[in-house]
Amino acid sequence: MLKLLYPVFTGLMIISTAVQAKIDLVTLPSRDKTQLTIYNSADLTLVREQRTLTLKKGLNRLEFGWENTLIDPTSVHLYAPGNESKVRLLEVNFPANITGSAIWSIESDIDGLVPVEITFFTSGLSWQAFYMGTLSKDEQHMQLDGYVTIRNHSGEDYENASTRVIVGKIHLLDEIMALAGRDSPYNRPGTPQYRPLTKDEPALKMEAYRAMGMAEDMAVAASMAPKAIVKEGLSEYFLYSIEGTENIPDGWGKRLPSFSVAKIPVKNMYRYEEERYGKSTQRLVIFNNDDAHLLGKEPLPDGNIKVFKQVSKDFQLAYVGHVNSKYIPIGQEVEMDFGAARDVKIEPVLMSEKTDNYRFNRNSNVSGFDRNQQWEIKLENNRDVPIRIEVLRNFNTPHWKIKNQSGNKGKFEKVDIDTVKYTLEIPAYSNTTLSYAITFFEGERQNVN
Amino acid sequence: MKNLYIAVLFMSGLLITTPASARTKLVALPDRENTFIRLDHPDITLIEEERTLSLHKGINKVDFSWKGVHIDPDSIRLAVLQHPDSTKLINVSYPPNEQALVWEIFSPENRQEKIRISYLLSNIDRVITYEAKTNHQENKLDLSSYLVLRNFSGESFTSAIFQLDYGKDFEKGILDGETRRMLFFDVANLNIRKVFTFNAGIHPWEPQKQDHTVGIPVSYELENIKGNQLGQHALWGGKARIFQNDANKSTIFLGEDMAGFTPVGQKMALHIGDSRDLSVTQHKITEERSNIRRNRNDHIVLYDSNEEIRIEIENFKDTPADLKIIEPMQGEWEIRKSSHDFKHIHSGEIGFELTVPAKGKSTIMYNYIRQNIRG
Repeated sequence: MLKLLYPVFTGLMIISTAVQAKIDLVTLPSRDKTQLTIYNSADLTLVREQRTLTLKKGLNRLEFGWENTLIDPTSVHLYAPGNESKVRLLEVNFPANITGSAIWSIESDIDGLVPVEITFFTSGLSWQAFYMGTLSKDEQHMQLDGYVTIRNHSGEDYENASTRVIVGKIHLLDEIMALAGRDSPYNRPGTPQYRPLTKDEPALKMEAYRAMGMAEDMAVAASMAPKAIVKEGLSEYFLYSIEGTENIPDGWGKRLPSFSVAKIPVKNMYRYEEERYGKSTQRLVIFNNDDAHLLGKEPLPDGNIKVFKQVSKDFQLAYVGHVNSKYIPIGQEVEMDFGAARDVKIEPVLMSEKTDNYRFNRNSNVSGFDRNQQWEIKLENNRDVPIRIEVLRNFNTPHWKIKNQSGNKGKFEKVDIDTVKYTLEIPAYSNTTLSYAITFFEGERQNVN
Repeated sequence: MKNLYIAVLFMSGLLITTPASARTKLVALPDRENTFIRLDHPDITLIEEERTLSLHKGINKVDFSWKGVHIDPDSIRLAVLQHPDSTKLINVSYPPNEQALVWEIFSPENRQEKIRISYLLSNIDRVITYEAKTNHQENKLDLSSYLVLRNFSGESFTSAIFQLDYGKDFEKGILDGETRRMLFFDVANLNIRKVFTFNAGIHPWEPQKQDHTVGIPVSYELENIKGNQLGQHALWGGKARIFQNDANKSTIFLGEDMAGFTPVGQKMALHIGDSRDLSVTQHKITEERSNIRRNRNDHIVLYDSNEEIRIEIENFKDTPADLKIIEPMQGEWEIRKSSHDFKHIHSGEIGFELTVPAKGKSTIMYNYIRQNIRG
């Protein structure tokens, strides 16, 4: 918020230096409206203020200041909607030896009140998606409630602000906070125009903000009345506009409900892949962000999901776990990974290993052979619900041949040059075994096939 | 004018023998008349200032000093404008430990002489920034370019004519420590193309195994040609911020990038952000050896590997996506089969361009032979 916005009416020559400009200050017009557009992939908020300026025909000068704020002064622009050709911002002057202040030169063909919009970037406001999931007792369905949590650590109080949040991964050259802290807004000659962002900086800052705001956030959340959120897709972004206006004092947070879907069909999936998860079996709950799953109206922003399970008819709950969900586009599958499972066990066992088909070089050394392995993958479902299982086997070599036992259940597919996948369903409280024989070709034997 | 000064001293006989003593007896301080600040070089700013000296008959010493001003001393030139045939620069001397020089100028008579002093001045320059707004379809762009003058040279210019490599000269003052931003040009309704780029040498092949949603970089391409209302001059590089109108007569910020210097006829590409509504998954599905050659010791010295790549693209957006795919190629290779036309970019890269339908999937398969030599 431009705390120190001082429109200065002048004749052409009243202000010749910044120092004089400060002396000739006149009253600050109040903000008519404020709109905040808050990004979640960067510490960035686009602020749009509507004010009514009193302009004289000819050249007008306006001083604005941003000292002790987190505003990027290079981002400040002024427009006169509907009067673009009559009111023009000719120049912005950042005077010498004065920090946090600039003079606008505005040429106006209008004598009188002119509504204008002032836009700028600030840092310190953030938002995050948050979800609460409740699985049905049979784990075939889940209620999903989505929330938007906004936090303000900008140093400014925002009152009656129309608030919008943006989902999307924006490309930024500079941190807004760093731009706000520069003594020369456009830097000095000879210095790089921007400092490339390191990947973790914005994320770390957000974490710090979140840590600061969590307590206030929870307190405010309890007293919130639900508000509608209007959603709109734009370019590679999704815009959530919160109904009405919000008061977001500095240091406070707000949680607003975004959507609630009662009965999303879900699949219980267990996956085993040593290269990715180690020796444990991973528990996943899967659904699609599409119409068939009563979703698909908007992408699901990345955020924390806390999942509970209904364990009795009187809605007693058990906590299943929490996951950090990735961004999910409309139509894509959602995989909630709850970590290692205790009651589903998948264990590949090497039953035998033999070598043959040796090749020898001229010095009679072994130059190649076949390694024949017999594997059994033992699968146990110790749960009271049927489950789906995926087992991925990575061989780390393109030189192999596999033969699956004819009695194996489910589906087998080759994923790529060194990976295969088994997919099967197992009823509650049951077990099964997948068997396969694989031959790895070593050394010279790799040249045979 | 703060720290840079010029003084003229008429010398009669040998009254003044050293430049140092000459500078202690200033007799005149001619003001700048015309000052030109030339900003056409990307790194260095050339200042040309004209002054009128009151010269006496004989040898005159002109003292030029620049304490605290970032002048390159080797760049200082003096040109006589009115009587170049008779007013002569005899020599230049440099006093020790001072940011100064003394010109000895011969004049055949008492007269006013206009001179031009040129020098390279650092810490004064210009940067260009762009602000742009796209339409909803993202095929048109309104582009505004701003000129930002920055002066931290130690010298103030109350009035100067600024010269760029294109556009009209303009008059402006800029004090030491001052920065001024002004509209340079604006053009509405430029044609742009939105392009997604997947680079298999940079992006993960299996995005579903990442702990975050992998974004595919999105860029706008803008041609600097007359057919696109541009093409008059090169576009200087600078920070570009891009916005888009929304449904509520407001805008959102799409992203920013450092635009590169774009000569006439070339494309400017601006990376605005990463799309997470486009997924590219790549696998190598075949790798077989053939044409194996051995040396006398039965060691393999040469073989071909026959490799096949499958690229699966899924577009979750409700609009088609123009996608560029860059595939790194190693060693000696030859494409044998491809489901799509490809472009040979250079010895180490090929590229595909395709339009992925809205809410649709596309698959690229290509097969190549790579020759492997083992010395």
